[in-house]
Amino acid sequence: MGSSKKHRGEKEAAGTTAAASTGGATEQPPRHREHKKHKHRSGGGGSSGGERRKRSRERGGERGGGRRGAEAEARSGAHGRERSQAEPSERRVKREKRDDGYEAAASSKTSSGDASSLSIEETNKLRAKLGLKPLEVNAVKKEAGTKEEPVAADVINPMALRQREELREKLAAAKEKRLLNQKLGKIKTLGEDDPWLDDTAAWIERSRQLQKEKDLAEKRAKLLEEMDQEFGVSTLVEEEFGQRRQDLYSARDLQGLTVEHAIDSFREGETVILTLKDKGVLQEEEDVLVNVNLVDKERAEKNVELRKKKPDYLPYAEDESLDDLAQQKPRSILSKYDEELEGERPHSFRLEQGGTADGLRERELEEIRAKLRLQAQSLSTAGPRLASEYLTPEEMVTFKKTKRRVKKIRKKEKEVVVRADDLLPLGDQTQDGDFGSRLRGRGRRRVPEADEEAPEEEEKEQAPRPPQSDDTRVENMDISDEEEGGAPQAGSPEVLEEDEAELELQKQLEKGRRLRQLQQLQQLRDSGEKVVEIVKKLESRPRGWEEDEDPERKGAIVFNATSEFCRTLGEIPTYGLAGNREEQEELMDFERDEERSANGGSESDGEENIGWSTVNLDEEKQQQDFSASSTTILDEEPIVNRGLAAALLLCQNKGLLETTVQKVARVKAPNKSLPSAVYCIEDKMAIDDKYSRREEYRGFTQDFKEKDGYKPDVKIEYVDETGRKLTPKEAFRQLSHRFHGKGSGKMKTERRMKKLDEEALLKKMSSSDTPLGTVALLQEKQKAQKTPYIVLSGSGKSMNANTITK
Amino acid sequence: MIEVVCNDHLGKKVHIKCNTDDTIGDLKKLIAAQTGTLWNKIILKKWYTIFKDHVSLGDYEIHDGMNLELYYQ
Repeated sequence: MGSSKKHRGEKEAAGTTAAASTGGATEQPPRHREHKKHKHRSGGGGSSGGERRKRSRERGGERGGGRRGAEAEARSGAHGRERSQAEPSERRVKREKRDDGYEAAASSKTSSGDASSLSIEETNKLRAKLGLKPLEVNAVKKEAGTKEEPVAADVINPMALRQREELREKLAAAKEKRLLNQKLGKIKTLGEDDPWLDDTAAWIERSRQLQKEKDLAEKRAKLLEEMDQEFGVSTLVEEEFGQRRQDLYSARDLQGLTVEHAIDSFREGETVILTLKDKGVLQEEEDVLVNVNLVDKERAEKNVELRKKKPDYLPYAEDESLDDLAQQKPRSILSKYDEELEGERPHSFRLEQGGTADGLRERELEEIRAKLRLQAQSLSTAGPRLASEYLTPEEMVTFKKTKRRVKKIRKKEKEVVVRADDLLPLGDQTQDGDFGSRLRGRGRRRVPEADEEAPEEEEKEQAPRPPQSDDTRVENMDISDEEEGGAPQAGSPEVLEEDEAELELQKQLEKGRRLRQLQQLQQLRDSGEKVVEIVKKLESRPRGWEEDEDPERKGAIVFNATSEFCRTLGEIPTYGLAGNREEQEELMDFERDEERSANGGSESDGEENIGWSTVNLDEEKQQQDFSASSTTILDEEPIVNRGLAAALLLCQNKGLLETTVQKVARVKAPNKSLPSAVYCIEDKMAIDDKYSRREEYRGFTQDFKEKDGYKPDVKIEYVDETGRKLTPKEAFRQLSHRFHGKGSGKMKTERRMKKLDEEALLKKMSSSDTPLGTVALLQEKQKAQKTPYIVLSGSGKSMNANTITK
Repeated sequence: MIEVVCNDHLGKKVHIKCNTDDTIGDLKKLIAAQTGTLWNKIILKKWYTIFKDHVSLGDYEIHDGMNLELYYQ
């Protein structure tokens, strides 16, 4: 610190010696006092510090000189300060040291690196270079006095200041007042009274004065006029005045003008002032009179209407626009825009002669319109009314009772009811219709029942025969109708028509039947045969065989379900073998001849294909069984001791042997055999692979006899990854892990590992020794010591009691 | 005309003579002329108050002899 002061002192001294005239007065020293901490730099010491720095850095002398120059400026303006006085001496010392080198370049270097301050001139130069205005030098000294010599500042008297202000305000106010008064002074107030109002004398005076003025004015005007006349302007002036007078007009001039209001808007008794409507300057249309108030009113009304927002378009509005002559006004499209497009067309009326307007014509038009409207027929019909349930009295009059006309009722024609009784006398039966009993058979000829029976009786029999077959009855009916000549029946012409075809059919059938029967009759007309037959029939009737024979004989077609079935069956080779056809056979024996003769007779007659040709099944069967039946029943039993053959025969006969080949009723194969009689189902899988065929052994296989007592000892061992055999539990665990695809968790595996390790350790452990191998160690020790024993004490030196210490 | 001291506390300390109605930008230019840096690299501060270029010294109430802190950006 002291050194710094010294430095400063030197610089000051140097500064004063090499004082430049430029008064770079700075207040640096006192200011620098503020920076007490930077003492080494403060006190003009910004520069001094810089210099010291310079010295320490040992820069070029020029710079130091430059700084010195600046310092000199700084110091030159220094006032009497303690430091400054102390400093110069120090600085002087320093300066003297480095004087020469620096002084040369004192003032020249200003803009170099560490220049701390510039003089005003330099600053101005710099500012000029930068484009700034030069420094203002006047306000340099703000402080009037220095610290050492303080100059008393002017006392600021607030009171005085305030008073001055007030005075100024007052003066300004007074001035304004004065001006106002001057302005207002000219206007007469109510309070003021003209003297001439009350006092007549004054009034007279005033009037006289006014008169005088008038006269004066007139004179002046005259003078002016004369002057104008002289100049020739008077005529023009007169014309102007004259025109104004002419513009005054009367009521007749109003004729023909249009008033742009509805005539209804003018009420009687009220006066409405009409003015000319504004029109453009260049428009040459005629004038229109309007009243402004009315115009406004109309406009207001229109606006109200618009604001009401009535619907623009009423599609079903009908009665709105009835115009003159009750005609529909042609409704134009988008009529709401007409005003906008074409312009307003306000109501207007013309003034008639004398400027009057009656509105009479309009009223007349209205009346006409009303009249026409009344006449008009409306197209709307009367609305629907509820119909009354009862007739009104008026309608009752028109309601008359009508007489009933007697109608002829047509009698119904009774239908013909045909009854069986009617038909009885009608029958001219030449057909057999004896359907008496089933036993006797249908369609059985009535002829021979008994000898007693005579044809006559038969015919008689016919009459009381009540039941007829339906068919014949119908036939009879129809035929009788026809034969009678068709008793006209109203309801049965259709029946006749339908049955005509049937009738013909029936006729044909009857003819055939009759022929047959006649022939049959003729056959049997031979007495002898006849008798025989009757006898036979008498005999055989109780047996009930007639059914089968009669139809065969007579040739009537009889269908029997069983017979048909048997026919279709075909040959039955075993027919009668069982021995249940004996009776038939017996009968056949007797009757065969007759049959043959009958058949021969029938054939001799030459009947062809009338009946079914008798199948000589019976003959065949009988021929077959003849020998068999005769031997088995009637022959004696063969003697057993005759020989084996006899014995066998006997057995066979007795039915002891089972060697007889049973013949099974064979159905005759139909004509068409199966298309593929020989077929086999091929198994193609077996053919293909040759390897399988190679491996298969088609030879004889047999069990090993020496291995009969062999029972396999099945032992399934499961092994884990290390090769250990697994217990069943572990094996199952392994299987389930494999199955489920996931093993045990962390804990489980750890446990398992631990267990395995323990097991391994257990295995490794010697059974005879402790885990630490104590015995082996002991043995080794013994070997080493060559003693059979081991001393177990600590040091092993001695085991005396002496060695026991505390 | 006032004289302002600009100190960067690193060895550069300059006294600048300027007018009260000069802007900070002008002052920076003057500083730059004396210190040898670029004027737009200079930041003048007073504690945390950064002096803006377009404001005049008078508006900032920078009086004669005031110290300004010189920083660089």
